[in-house]
Order: sequence, then C-alpha cells, then structure tokens
Amino acid sequence: MLKKFIDDSALKSPWIYHINTGSCNGCDIELVAVLTPRYDAERFGFKLAGTPRHADIVVVSGPITSQSKERLLRTLAQVPEPKCVVSLGSCPRSGNVFKGSYSIEGPLEKYVHVDVSVAGCTPKPEAIMEGLYKAAQILKEKREAMKK
Amino acid sequence: MLNITNILMLLFFVLVFPGALFTSAVGLWLAGVDRKVVARMQHRIGPPIRQPLYDFLKLLGKETIIPHAANKTVYLGAPIVGFISLAMIMLFIPIMGFTAVSGSADLIVILYLITIPGVALIVGGSSSGSPYAGIGISREMVTMMAYELPFVLVLLAVARKVGGGALVFSMQDIAAWQAANGSLLFHWSMIPAALAMLLVVPAEVGTQPFDVAEAETEICEGPLVEYSGAPLGLFKLNTAMKMFVMSGLFTALFLGGLGTGIVALDALIFVLICTLVVILCISTIHAVTARLKIEHLFKFYWTFVAGLALLSLILVWCGL
Repeated sequence: MLKKFIDDSALKSPWIYHINTGSCNGCDIELVAVLTPRYDAERFGFKLAGTPRHADIVVVSGPITSQSKERLLRTLAQVPEPKCVVSLGSCPRSGNVFKGSYSIEGPLEKYVHVDVSVAGCTPKPEAIMEGLYKAAQILKEKREAMKK
Repeated sequence: MLNITNILMLLFFVLVFPGALFTSAVGLWLAGVDRKVVARMQHRIGPPIRQPLYDFLKLLGKETIIPHAANKTVYLGAPIVGFISLAMIMLFIPIMGFTAVSGSADLIVILYLITIPGVALIVGGSSSGSPYAGIGISREMVTMMAYELPFVLVLLAVARKVGGGALVFSMQDIAAWQAANGSLLFHWSMIPAALAMLLVVPAEVGTQPFDVAEAETEICEGPLVEYSGAPLGLFKLNTAMKMFVMSGLFTALFLGGLGTGIVALDALIFVLICTLVVILCISTIHAVTARLKIEHLFKFYWTFVAGLALLSLILVWCGL
C-alpha cells in the first residue's frame, strides 16, 4: 500500500538538476523558460534542485568538453537511485556544430545511459516539457522495478 | 497518578492528535497552501496543494547516500531529533480551548524546544563534512541569533501583559486571560509585538527573504547539501511542521480565547487561522521579495523587529 503511494509520488514530484557541459547557454535559457510563469513546469511538481543529491532527473546540455567531462561523470555518480538522464538539445546527442573539434568528448551516450533525448538547437519549451514528463514516467517505472 | 488510561492518553497526545500525526498533516497542508498561493501571486497555476506530500513520499523511496566523511549516527539522527521536538511543541500550544499538557512555564519550554530543529539542522549539516554545509550552518547560526532576540522580547511582552504585575509563562493562563479580556491582538499596546512576531515566523521557518542558510542557488541548500532520500524528506517535513508550530504559536499568543468548546471544531478554526497567518506572513513576503544578505538580515532583526517588540514591552511595562 505504502509502496504504491511512493511509486505514484515518483511521477508527481520529479526534481531537476541541470548540468551545463559547455553549452552556448541557449538550451539553458529555454530550460529556465519552462520553469517561468508562462509554461510553469511546477504544476507537474518539477522543481530545480540545488544539488545532485536531491535530484531525480539530470538534464545535461552542451557537447561535453574535455574540461567538463570529469565533472559530469562525478556529478552523475552522486545522484541517488532511481534517476533519469535527459540530454537537452542537439549538442549532447551528436556534438552539433562542434562535431570533430579537438576539445569535444561527446556524445553523452558514451558515458551514461540516456533515458530521454530532446533534439533541437534549441528545443522549444513545449518539447522540453514533454521530454521531462516522459522522463518522470520512466522514473516511475524505475521506482516500481526497484527491490524493496 | 500514572495509571494505564493516563499513559494511553499521553501516547495518543504524542502520536496522534496534537502530536506527530496531526502536526505533520497540517504542516504539509500549510506548505502546500503556501506554494499554491505564491504560484497564484506570480500568475502561475502552481502545484496541487498535496504536492509537499508527494515530495515527502518520493523522498522516502529514494536511495539514502551517506557520505564517506560523515558521522553516520549524527547524520541520520539529526532529522529525527528535530521531528520529535517539533511534535512535542504542539502538546504545549493550546488549540483554542484544548491543551494536551499544561504547566506553569510552558512558554520557556516552547522557547527551548523551538530552537532544537534549528540546532538539529546545524548538527546534521556539520556532520555531513561538506564545505557548502559549513557556510550554511554558520549562516543558520547567525539567523537563529537574529530572530531569537525579538522572539524573546515578544514572549516577555505577552507574559507581562497577561500577568499584570508579574510575569505569566503558562499558555493556559494566557488563553484564559484572552477568553476573559479579548484577544491580545486587539489590545493596541500589543500590536507592535504582533507585527514583530509575524516577522519572526518566516525567519524561524526559513522561507524566501530569510532563507540565507538554505540558499539553493548560491550554496546548494546549505546544511542539506549532502542529504538524500528519507533523511532529506524528514528535514523537509520538519520545515513544514515548523510552519504550523510557529503560526500556531502566533494564533495561541495573539488570537487565543476564541474557542467554542468542541475540540474538533476548535481544531478546525485553529487550522484555518494558521492558514491565514501563513498566507499573510510567509506567502505574501515570499512572493514579493528576493533573498537578503546575511548581514542585512541580522541588522533588520536587531533594529526594526527587535525595536517593534521592545516598543510593545515598554508600553506594557508602563501598564498600558
């Protein structure tokens, strides 16, 4: 009974942690736009967490520069289970316009399992919202699969 | 004296009605109302009112990571100590006519018990071994020093006003005095103290302009930086319960003596007044202000708020 309530709550209160791995700031602005009064992601319970320890969904933007790779891996390792990784924009998917650069160590799939990938340069806030909601549903499935 | 019925009654008081269950349920309700009202003031739809309950349940289902540098016992024990002390405070606060436990110096007990959740946050944060928590706990300590002075002055003013010549620290006597002479809020010499108390509430709870200790955008939620899973959920629940305890204390001190005699109805009226107090002094201030710096917070409390409380105290001491 309690387990069912807890599983349902995983869908209703996903907290986001955002990592910028060398992004141009475009996707970051659009992610913040999702939390503003116009789109108001808080109505689904989304909240921006201050530290990876509080996060459920990790949103990664940027093409993963050599400098940020180490920090990215360390941050991802600090997030408690169950967790979801969302790649935001085209950069973590493919490298985008930075592909082939000596300082890029992407794509993100090389290092971690990506649950939801939102494409676009930059993606629209509506698309980000849908991606985050899908991530929350995956979070619930992961929570249900967890052994008590 | 201590027969089996008394013990069962006491257990019921501690675990269910004014204690743990009731306090956490109303606390989560108040936290939800706060988030909804702030959202509506910012022209948003906002989360549902049961959102804090979802947050708490979700955190129960998360993995609890204990950092390598942490002292395990203190790290996990701190939120539980805070929870117990908050559940205990509600026993002393009269819910209109009904008081679970009453003594001759309730106010002093409440004053001490109410610092324990803050101290638990400091102890838990410092045991986690994170530098962010270090900054957070130093700010939490300064915040506590800042609001304790006006808080004590307000309590003294109330005690002197009720006692006439002497100081009365019994919550039941305060409630009885208000039932006979009208609520303290309607005595003009107590209005500055009530204002000071309304400003002490958000600092004690740690909401927006006064959340310097848990500033999530600059120091990653300060003392809570390393917490995850159930202990974090318990700390979030403590914050929600603190909202109820502080608004309940305001209601008992300044709007007491309005009871109807039926406990269930009294509790309902009490919760409604608490909700109004939370909307007035937590949500409204949260929606219109940005976070203060720690030195500005300290200055604000020791000049403006303490000044208001002192004004009331002087007026009361002059017999007004």
